[in-house]
Parts: sequence; C-alpha cells; structure tokens
Amino acid sequence: MTDKILTARMDAHPLDSHTLDRYLNTGGYEALRKAIREMTAEQITEEVKASNMRGRGGAGFPMGVKWGFLAPAEPRYLVVNCDESEPGTFNDRQLAERDPHQLLEGMIIASYALGVNHAFVYIRGEYPKVARRMQSAIDEARAAGYLGKSVIGSEFSLDVTVHMGGGAYICGEETALLNSLEGRRGEPRLKPPFPAVEGLYAKPTIVNNVESIANVPWITTNGGAAYAAIGPERSSGTKMVSISGHINKPGNYEIVLGMTWREFIYDIAGGIPDGKELKAWIPGGASAPWFVPSEHLDTLFTIDDVASNGSMLGAGAVIVMDETTNVVAAAHRLVRFFAHESCGQCTPCREGTSWLEAVLKRILDGNGQPSDVDLLLEISNGISPGLAWPPAMTTICPLGPSAVSPITSITRWFMPELEAMIAGSEVAVG
Amino acid sequence: MTATISHWSPENQERAKDILASYPEKRSAVMPLLYVASLEHEYASEDAMREVADLVEITPIQVKSVASFYTMYKREPVGDYLVSVCTGISCFLRGADDVLEAVEEATGVRSGETTEDGSVSVEHVECIGACGGAPAVQVNYELIEGVTPDKAEALIKWLEDTKPEVVLADEMQQLFGGQQSFDWGPADTMGAIRPVPAFGVFGSAKEGR
Amino acid sequence: MADNTVSITINGVTHEVEAGERLITAAENVGEHIPRFCHHDKLEPVGKCRMCLVEVEGPRGKALMTSCTMPVSDGMVVDTQSDVVKKAQEGILEFLLINHPLDCPVCDKGGECPLQDQAVAYGRGESRFIEEKRTYTKPMPVSDLVLLDRERCVLCDRCVRVADDIAGDPLIEFIERGSHVQINTFPNEPFSSYFSGNTVQACPVGALTSVDYRFKARPWDLESTRSVSLIDAMHSNVEIHTSRGKIVRVYGAENNSVNEGWLSDKDRFAFAAFSSGARVTTPLVRDGDTFNEVSWGEALELVSSKLGSFIGTEVGAIGGAHSTNEEAFALGKFVRSVIRSPHIDAQVGDGIDPHLAAAVVNRARIDDLDSAATILVWGPDIKETLPVLYLRVRKAVRNGATLVVASPYATGLDSIATHVVRYRAGSGAETLRKLGQGDGDHSAVAEALASGPIVALVGRSSLAEDPKLVEAVAAYAGALPDAKVLPLLARGNIFGALDMGLAPNLLPGRVSTEDESAVSELEYAWGPLPVDTGKDTMEMLEALADSDLRALILTGADPVRDCPDPELAARALDTAEFTVAFDAFITDSSARADVILPAAVWGEVEGTATNLEGRVQHLGRAIPPRGQSMSVASAIDSIGRLMGTELNAADWKVINREIAAVAPTYAGLTADFLTFEAGDEGAIAPLESDSQPLVHTPADVSVPVVTDRFTLHLVPSLYDDSVVVRNTEILAPLAGHAAVRMHPKDASSIAVTDGQMVHVGNLELPVVIDPDVVQRSVVLPRNLNETKNLAATGAIRVETVRGDA
Ligand SMILES: Cc1cc2nc3c(=O)[nH]c(=O)nc-3n(C[C@H](O)[C@H](O)[C@H](O)COP(=O)(O)O)c2cc1C
Ligand code: SF4
Ligand code: FES
Repeated sequence: MTDKILTARMDAHPLDSHTLDRYLNTGGYEALRKAIREMTAEQITEEVKASNMRGRGGAGFPMGVKWGFLAPAEPRYLVVNCDESEPGTFNDRQLAERDPHQLLEGMIIASYALGVNHAFVYIRGEYPKVARRMQSAIDEARAAGYLGKSVIGSEFSLDVTVHMGGGAYICGEETALLNSLEGRRGEPRLKPPFPAVEGLYAKPTIVNNVESIANVPWITTNGGAAYAAIGPERSSGTKMVSISGHINKPGNYEIVLGMTWREFIYDIAGGIPDGKELKAWIPGGASAPWFVPSEHLDTLFTIDDVASNGSMLGAGAVIVMDETTNVVAAAHRLVRFFAHESCGQCTPCREGTSWLEAVLKRILDGNGQPSDVDLLLEISNGISPGLAWPPAMTTICPLGPSAVSPITSITRWFMPELEAMIAGSEVAVG
Repeated sequence: MTATISHWSPENQERAKDILASYPEKRSAVMPLLYVASLEHEYASEDAMREVADLVEITPIQVKSVASFYTMYKREPVGDYLVSVCTGISCFLRGADDVLEAVEEATGVRSGETTEDGSVSVEHVECIGACGGAPAVQVNYELIEGVTPDKAEALIKWLEDTKPEVVLADEMQQLFGGQQSFDWGPADTMGAIRPVPAFGVFGSAKEGR
Repeated sequence: MADNTVSITINGVTHEVEAGERLITAAENVGEHIPRFCHHDKLEPVGKCRMCLVEVEGPRGKALMTSCTMPVSDGMVVDTQSDVVKKAQEGILEFLLINHPLDCPVCDKGGECPLQDQAVAYGRGESRFIEEKRTYTKPMPVSDLVLLDRERCVLCDRCVRVADDIAGDPLIEFIERGSHVQINTFPNEPFSSYFSGNTVQACPVGALTSVDYRFKARPWDLESTRSVSLIDAMHSNVEIHTSRGKIVRVYGAENNSVNEGWLSDKDRFAFAAFSSGARVTTPLVRDGDTFNEVSWGEALELVSSKLGSFIGTEVGAIGGAHSTNEEAFALGKFVRSVIRSPHIDAQVGDGIDPHLAAAVVNRARIDDLDSAATILVWGPDIKETLPVLYLRVRKAVRNGATLVVASPYATGLDSIATHVVRYRAGSGAETLRKLGQGDGDHSAVAEALASGPIVALVGRSSLAEDPKLVEAVAAYAGALPDAKVLPLLARGNIFGALDMGLAPNLLPGRVSTEDESAVSELEYAWGPLPVDTGKDTMEMLEALADSDLRALILTGADPVRDCPDPELAARALDTAEFTVAFDAFITDSSARADVILPAAVWGEVEGTATNLEGRVQHLGRAIPPRGQSMSVASAIDSIGRLMGTELNAADWKVINREIAAVAPTYAGLTADFLTFEAGDEGAIAPLESDSQPLVHTPADVSVPVVTDRFTLHLVPSLYDDSVVVRNTEILAPLAGHAAVRMHPKDASSIAVTDGQMVHVGNLELPVVIDPDVVQRSVVLPRNLNETKNLAATGAIRVETVRGDA
C-alpha cells in the first residue's frame, strides 16, 4: 500500500488530476458511494475517530473527537478552512488546486456523516486559482449528481458554497473565519461557546482544515484502523509538510512522521544551498518557536516530540535559515507580520505587537538601546506571561502570543547577536 | 423586497442576486458583493460600500467596518495592474526586498502608490502562500513564483508595453518565473481583468488567449 | 434562595454569590473591585480590553481569565491580587497608555477617568514607549450632539454596543484593523440617534463628549442630585450634576424597573432650556400689548382679588401636567375648595378618558414587557413620544417577544415589529372587529394574540382618531388571554396630575367624582366641593369663547399650541376676562394672560411624581429657583391665604403628607416612605391593591366611522417646536421641517409629484410621496414651527398650489 494518500493522484497524473474524469477513473467518489450506500453517519464518525487523525490546521485536535461534539440542533454547517495564511504554509493550496475533487468528496462524506446540508469552503482571497478549481469541481460534481438535491440518488442533499476571504490572516482562526463568513469583521469570538455548539449563524458547526478533510475519502475506503496504523501512534497518517527558506529542495512533502529533523532537512529536502551552515529553522510556521542545529537536529519529527521540545508542528511549515541570516531582521519580519495581522480587539495584541515591531525596527536602524532586550521581553511578557510554551495568554486568541515566539527564540539562541546589533558593533553574521 | 442597484450592469445585478441566494443570511454576501461593487466602481469607493449596504440591508458604516478590516478591498483608486510583492519571511530570506526595490525602480513609484498614468499600483504584502517559490509576486492576485529583481523589472516593462487585457498566471510564470512551490500542472486559461481576485462568481475572471 | 446561589472563593475568602452572574459583578458585590474598561453591566460582554484578568484555578492549575466574560460556577477559586494578576494589569495599562495622549489637564474626563485613576493605582509609572504615538485629528463630530477624540479612545466597544444593541442605530463602528482600529462614522452619515448621549456616558474615557458639556466643569466641583426626568411620562432616573448653582450635565441613573440607566437625548440635554434667556423670572402684569414687571406682592394681590371677583363656576383651570404631584394637588385643592370650581383638567384635549388612564383594570407595569410573549402597541409612536419605553419594547423583542403594531401611519416601531397592522384613521373600529375575528390577512396577528402573557400599550395614535377608539381598543386588549394594559400618555407628570384629581371626573387618589362616599370623605377634609359636573379643556375653551366661563388659571399648559383646535383656544383666551398663567416661559397661551407668575421648574422644586405605570418617585431639587421664580404650590398657598383660606401648601412635605392622608390610592406613599423604604426604585401606587377606589374596566363602545376626503394625522416628533426643544441650543436645530406625506395614488389623484407644494388647510407645504401612508390620509409632523397652528380636527383640504406644476 502506498505511503502517499493525498498526493498519489497528482503525482501519477500531473496533467489532469484536477478533472472529474481523471478522478473517477482513479477510484474517485467510490468512498462516497460506500459511505452513503453501506454506512450510517455514526459508522463514518467512528472510522474517523479510529483513525486518530489529528487536525492539520495547527491545533492538532483529533478530528473524530471534534465531530463527536457536534450539537444536535438544526441546521448544522461544515466549513472547510482554506485560509492558509500561516507564513511558510502552502500545502492546502496544492491539495485544493491539484486534486479539488478529493477535498470535495471528503466534504460530501463529512457532511453526510454530520447531517449537514450546506457546506462552505473559505478560501483566502489571494488564492483565486484555488477558488476557480474548487468552483469547477463543484459544478462538475453537481452536474454528475454528487451534489445537489439528491446525492447519488439518495435522500441526502448538499450545497457547497465557495467563500473568498478579503486578505486577513486572522480569518484562519476558526471563529474569526465564521464571523467573516457571516459578513462581519474577522475578529475571533470568545470561547465557549465552541463552533460545534454555536458556530455559523449560532448553529452547530464543524470547522476543519483542507488537509484534514482531504483524508476522509481514504479513511472511508480503507478504514480508520488502516490510517491509524500509518506512522507513530499519536502522529498517525501522512502529513503534508511545506519547507521553504534557505533549502535546496523547497516544496511540499507528504511524509509519514517519525524521522529526525536531520533526515528531513538534509535527506529529503536536500540540505542548505551552496553548502552553507544551518543556523536555525522554524518547525511549524511563523507562530512556532525556532529550533537550532546544536539542540534539535536529532529530535524526532512528530507532533509530540516537537511539543516536548518547546515548539509546535502547527500547520506543518518548516522555514529554514542559513548562517548568513540576520536573525534580528528575520524576527522583525515575523513580528511585523503578526502586528499587521492583529485584528486589534485585544489591548495587548493590538498595542504589544506593534510596539515589538517598532523596537526591533529601531534596533535594525541602528538606534538600539541597552535596555531594549529587557523591553522586548517585558512587552512579550505582557502578551504571554511567563514566556512559556505552550504560551499563557492575556489575549483572546493565540495570534498575540505567536508574535512572542521570534522574540523568545532570538533571546534564547542568539543573544550575543542581538546585543551586538544593539551595541551597533559588527554583527556576527555571514 | 431586496434592492437591486439599477445602474449596475445587468450581468452584475444578476451576480448580486445569485450571491445573495447562495447564503442562508443576507449579510454573508457583504464580502463577495464588495468585490463585485469594486468591479463596478473600479475600487471599493464610498458609493460601492453604500450600494452593498443597500443590498444586504445594513448601514454603510457597517459595510465600511468590514471592508476596512481586510486588505483586498481597495478604498482608494488603484491601477489596472496591482503588483503585489511578497515580503513575508520566506520571500524575505530569498531576497524579496531586492525584488520590491526593482519593482519600485521600474515603475518609479513606491509601495502603496500608483503610476501617473494609472496603469500600475505597487504594494508589498505579507505571506501569500508561495513560500516554496520565494520570492513571489502577484499581478492582480495572479501568481508568479521564483522572481528575481531582473525578471521583476522585465515584468513591469511587459505590463506597461503589452497592457494585457487578461492577466494569466501561467503566462507570466513562463516569462518571468522560476522555482515553484510545487508543480502547477496544466496551464490555467482563466485570468484576472482587474485588481479583484479572478473568480467567475465575481465576474472578475476571463478566458485568456 | 440558596438554590440560585453558588459559593466561590475570592482571595481566600468564600462567598455566596448569585448563580450565572459574571465573575466581575459577583466580585464587585462582595467588595472586590476588579479594574475594567470594556465591561458594562447592561451590555453583552466582549472581553476586549483584557484589563479584568484574574487567576482562576482550573484542571491545569491557575490560568488568567477575563472576569467580565466568565460566569461564576460553584467552587470556583479566584485570585484577583496575585503577582501574576498585578503584572498582567500593569502590562495592559501600559499598553493602553502608550498611544494615549497626556492631555488629562484639558480632558473633560480628567478627575473621573478610570484610565487616569488606574494608571495611578495599578500602573508602573513612567512609560518606556519612546516611539511615536498614534495621532488623529482632534475631536471630530460624530453627530450634532457628540464629539469623538480618537486619540483618547481605548476601543472598549461600549459605544458601538450601545448604538447597535441598545438603541438599534448602528451608525458608529470600528474601522480598520490592528493598531489602526478606530471608531468612526460613514461620511455624511452622522450618528443621529435619539439615544446618542448614552454613548457619552458609557465611554470610560474622554473620547466621546457632548457638545454642550465640553470644558463646562471639572468633576471635582460637581455636585450630584438624584432625580427623575419629567421630559416625558416614563420618568427615567437621572443624576443632575451641578456646578456653582448651575445644572451642567444630566446623567442616566439606574432604575432597572424604569430606564435601566438609559436616557433619551431629550431627557439628557433639554435641561438647558430652563437656564436659557427665555425664562420668565419675575411676575409680569399685562399693560395693553406689553407686560410690566411687578413684585410678587403686587401680582398676588391682583390675582387673588381678580379670582375672588368671579363666581367659582365661572373660573376654569387647565394644566398641572408639568408640575410635581404636590403642586398639582395644591392646584386642585385650591380650585375645588377655595375657588369652588369643578372645571379643571390637566389634559388639553389631546388625551384619553382620565378613568382609563389612571385606573384601568389589570394595569401593566413596564417590567411586564420583559415577560410578555406578545406585545401589542396601538397608540402614539412611542419612539417619538416615550423613547425610553421604546428601548424597553426593543429589548423585549430582542429577547424573543412578538411585537404587533397597529397604527394609521408608519411608526418607529415598525422596523422591529413582527406584524404591522396599518389602517385608515376612522376605520379603527373596523380593524378591531377584523382582528377579533382573525379575518384573512389578520389571521397571523390574531394567532400571535391568541396566547399570553400579553402586554398592550394603548393610547391615542392620532388626533384624527375618535378618542372613543382608545376605550374600544383597551376593551379588546384587556380581553386577550393573560393580558395587561398600559395606557399611554406622554406629557411629563400627566399621570401624577390625574392621580391628584386634575380632571373633571377625578378627585385625588383615583376617586371618581361620582363616588358619593369618597366625595363626602374629601369634603370632611376640604369643606364643601362644587356640585356641578366639571368641564374638560375643550369644553372650557368653548365656554370661555362663548363667555359662559369668565376666568382661567393656566399652570404650565399651552392649549393654544397643544389642543386640537388652536384657533378656538386663542379665541377663548382672548375672550376671557382674566387669565393668570403660572409658567416659566412666554408661550402662545401665557402670552395672552393678564398675569404671568414665574414658575420654578424641574430641578428647582423638590417633590414626587408618578409615571405611566403609576410608579411614584422622588424628584430632587438640584438648584434654587431661577430669579424670583417660585414653586406653583407656594404661590397658590399665598393666593389662598389672601383669599382667606389656609391651604398649608407652602412646604412640599406637608402637602405630601396630606396627599397620603386624603388620596386613598396614595395611602402610605409618603416622602419618608419613598426615601427610607422604597429607595431608588420608587413604589407603584397603590401599595395595597384594595386602597384604590376606582377600577375602570374599558367598555366595548361603538366608534363612529370618519369618512373625510383626506384625514390629517398630526404626528408627534421628539424634536418639535416645544419650549424645551426650542430653547435648548443644541436640540433646536434638530427639529425637522414640515412636509406632507401622502400615498402615491392620492398624490396622483390631485396631480402632485414628490417635492411639489400643496395647500394643507391654510398652509403651503412640500409633498413627500410615501407608500407607507394609508390612502386618503396625509401625515404631517405636529407642532413644528410651520404646523403649530394647524387644527387637528381630522378632515382636511389638500390641493395643488395653482401655478405650481
Ligand atoms: C491565528 C490563527 C490562524 C489560523 N490559521 C489557520 C489556517 O490558515 N488554516 C487552518 O486550517 N487553520 C488555521 N487555524 C486553526 C483553526 O483555528 C482551526 O483550529 C482549524 O482550522 C481546525 O481544523 P482542523 O481541526 O482540521 O485542524 C488558525 C488558528 C489561529 C489561532
Ligand atoms: S490576540 Fe490579537 S488577533 Fe487574537 S483576538 Fe486578540 S487582538 Fe485579535
Ligand atoms: S473588562 Fe473584561 S476584558 Fe474588558
């Protein structure tokens, strides 16, 4: 059995993996037939539970367990999160662009299992091609009877609406996404209530990531147990990992977790260009604390091992920095992102992130002050008291604390470089 | 019943109706309708926001509150070609700042500005999900990956000389791109006609040559 | 009790608190103040400012939680003072201050600003923020009444929630994102709301200010007096803030049975009229076409000798609706027992049967709205006449109540109504019948009214309506399942005046003049009372015009402006041999008097007042009477003495005790009871239901059908040409301009188009074509400068202005 679940079709049929014809003659929509003809909604949820698949959107919450929380009230909604905006991630884009029917079939099965008759795909505004591909897949599927009034002749009916974002990273956060989908500012909501109880239009709603849902057809066909059997126990299945930055073979890799970081960075992704030294890497997207070669090259690439080493796998985005990287500039770039994307409703995030950005900018401009190191840490403390990981928060959502990761990373691993920069002396890079 | 904006093109009035019909609640249509209105008015002008307010039956300030939360609803006039240079972390590591500089040089305007003749607007943006193909640039949200400063300069020249009616990602990638995040597969023949994401539902996408 | 309380531990001490309460409130109630900015008791929690963070013990140890969003739960263990909490609060404050201007010395909020106070209490002193502060253009008007200083704003979301959730006017919003977020309005779409002032009061800092208060006073030399507003019959509770003997600001005060802290902008800002130059501050005596200032002594001599020169029944008295209960009682006692005239009326021909208003069976309380399944409103547009009652109805609807609105013209309630029943004035009785039978298009409404609890707000929706319709509607509504009826009258203390017997068919304490035993009881106290039946205002005016009445006492009433037939009123006053007007202003009516006695007004007189649900509350005295003004009661006391009778009306407390003694329904409702027993909530009269002699059960009277070519509706608007609005600098400009609303079909039938001029009676006004107007009726705002003299008799000629087409 292949160890590729999500990318097998696009690898085998690079020219038309996105079309309905190709999808059908490579076993497409068979899982849906099986689900509707042979399985009850409960059985499907059970299989998803059995797969131990942990949500791929970043929080890593087991998908089956989440489905189990869906409240009985009607109507209910399924919302697929394709806002993919975490710096370093671009794998949902590939899955939705290259194999939209796989995602759509996952949505249809999930909707059937969850008693949903109207599902949404929230696609970030900067992904027009993804929206076009999803829409034509939806049109093809409707014409062929996989969507609409009576799905493959059954009682079950389903509409799918593509909703494009307007340019806001925070809308990836599921409750901000729901506000956005309701035509409001993309501000995260207070939790509880959680979407599974009060989500879209205050109705029970399941929000899942693209990659999570794209796995559903395979799980339906092969069973949850088969999925759980792949890879290490608490990181089961395959994972799409995006790697970028100073790396020889950037791209998306569908891998079975459990290898060491050394293996991943050097053997799979081809190592650092021009034989340069590896300086640091971010294991799970911009929000994650950095890893450094001296400590983490032989750490295992699993959800839990990364967590126990004080960072996170998040949405599975690896950003590699070589020896020439000015880590203060890199940190500034990351903090600038969070300041720009803060929704602005919490005082500490709104004021703190832009303050951090301003201080780093000042240091980069050569106007650093000796007190700035303490200041950076103090500001960070005001957003994420104790500077621990996983972070404590004075904020509503984790975006604020995410802006702290680059600060704690450079102060923890590159203090001399930071101090040198503040002192204005020749920076020890390159 | 629901207002229709009589001075909109018949096609756009039709689109507005379909969009409103595709959501359980009117207000959800605010964002898609803002894109349609931006096509009608060339950008998300005050009138555009007022008209969307009428369509979904909320107040204009409620529409502005939403529009101004997002980066893609342009509340100032914008050129025919919006060139967005990604300066997010991965592109930054791969030299995005030089690409931005090249674009600014080639257009003679700075990020956030539009050329005299109103043809090109330049902006630098945060991560656009093309990190594997860094540095990345978008023209009217159609993507080019693996752009170098020279290629960026050539891109601007090409835009100003050929003034393509439809901006096609694959065509531009061919001419000015390099390293991709992943194999794009077969060329997409749909492209953008304005700085509004090219999507049939909005009427912003067109079949290219 | 114990079953709806839980026990929580705050800083080591265990307390019993109300279940479901927010932690921040529960803590407050047991004396643990947690700092906050966005939290507001009357608004949905948003948890945005993050100032109220406390440590709560959970499964995974202590965690920081916002106490404003967290409901208390049994066994909850909370620390509000740990180092972690202190540090978090310091941090939040520093964040709030980095972009906050340091202009406390010139900020109106300086001295009463939680940000300023907390910066001292919890802050870390000097800021480490050396970058550039955010700057915005200094105050920008968001409406004619409210200014916004975005630099001072802490983005607490209170104003937006007040505008959107409470007032239903979502015209101010957050725009932009992240550190650029700011409050704003849409270009050319100001925050025009009848409730905009509430945002100023809700703003925790000095970001929102009212145009009339800026730089007026400093908080530390403000004195505060608790009272109630007499702008309308709701009697919203207020704090009157005075500085150096002047009222400088009126704030809403919390009375959860009445206004829950909210005010209309008229409640809040109209106090300015009383300090305006238009006030009459000395006694005036007519001298030909002018008035001469005279001493009180002279004036009182003149009035008492004049009044003494008529037979009692030749004298009439109109007014009392703007007085305190004590003043109204004194007036009634004077007219009935000294003048010995039965002709007295606090309404001016635009009201309803006093028995219905004061003594309807199953009278509803405002609070009943909260538990009503269905609310029926058949009466005046309460958004214009009783705006805070509108807020209460709106809240009930938000919480799920069904709202049925019946009206011959569009009202402010229509937009939140579940069903709107529109009918042509005159056909009201017809509509009633249809509702009763649940005919065709009325079936949905009938269904909504088929099960209770039901609260019916019933009043006179238009002067074109036959007053009898109100009785018929009340009868219909009262018969609905589990129904209560709240009769609607809007004028200041009209219900107090009626309860004090200022009506031809009422004596003090909801006693019918027909009730012999009650009458003789009163005579025991007052001596013999007049025997003839009293005339109401319209009858008095006709009698005056026909010289059957010879003298008139006006107390704060302006029949020439307010009664349905201004022309008759003018003629009546001109014919009267002698008219004395107790008034604070020269009005269309007092201008025709022979003597004007300067009356002390709201804020200058202590006493009690009774609102539309019969709630008796204390009126505070915040400042001394202006100039030589005097309370109507003291003036009457002197006149009585000069006429040889001791009324004991000089001291409001003495009158108040007499009311409690002789007005059955007010038994026990003494000032002392209100102050020491009832407290801020006041008390509903009667305290014991059996102490109210008169209980009026509405009768299903038959109502004649009007069939005029055009029925004219003069509809009230909050901002009209009344003395308080006209003399309040910031409100006067808000009064609209008159335009005739008519149905498209009618417009074409007389061949006019939108904007064209038409003759309405003797006026020439522009037409606004409006499908919401019922055919064959025209709607005009009442009592605007243009329409003030228009008779509201129902029938009206409307025709195109010749040569205009
Ligand atoms: C600031 C922020 C940004 C997020 N962005 C994304 C995103 O782009 N895509 C995504 O699927 N989940 C994102 N998430 C996680 C979602 O909130 C949510 O957990 C997820 O979509 C659930 O899907 P899953 O259970 O299948 O992972 C984000 C969370 C936060 C706090
Ligand atoms: S943490 Fe930042 S992004 Fe998240 S809700 Fe608060 S302000 Fe918005
Ligand atoms: S008071 Fe609790 S977050 Fe503002």
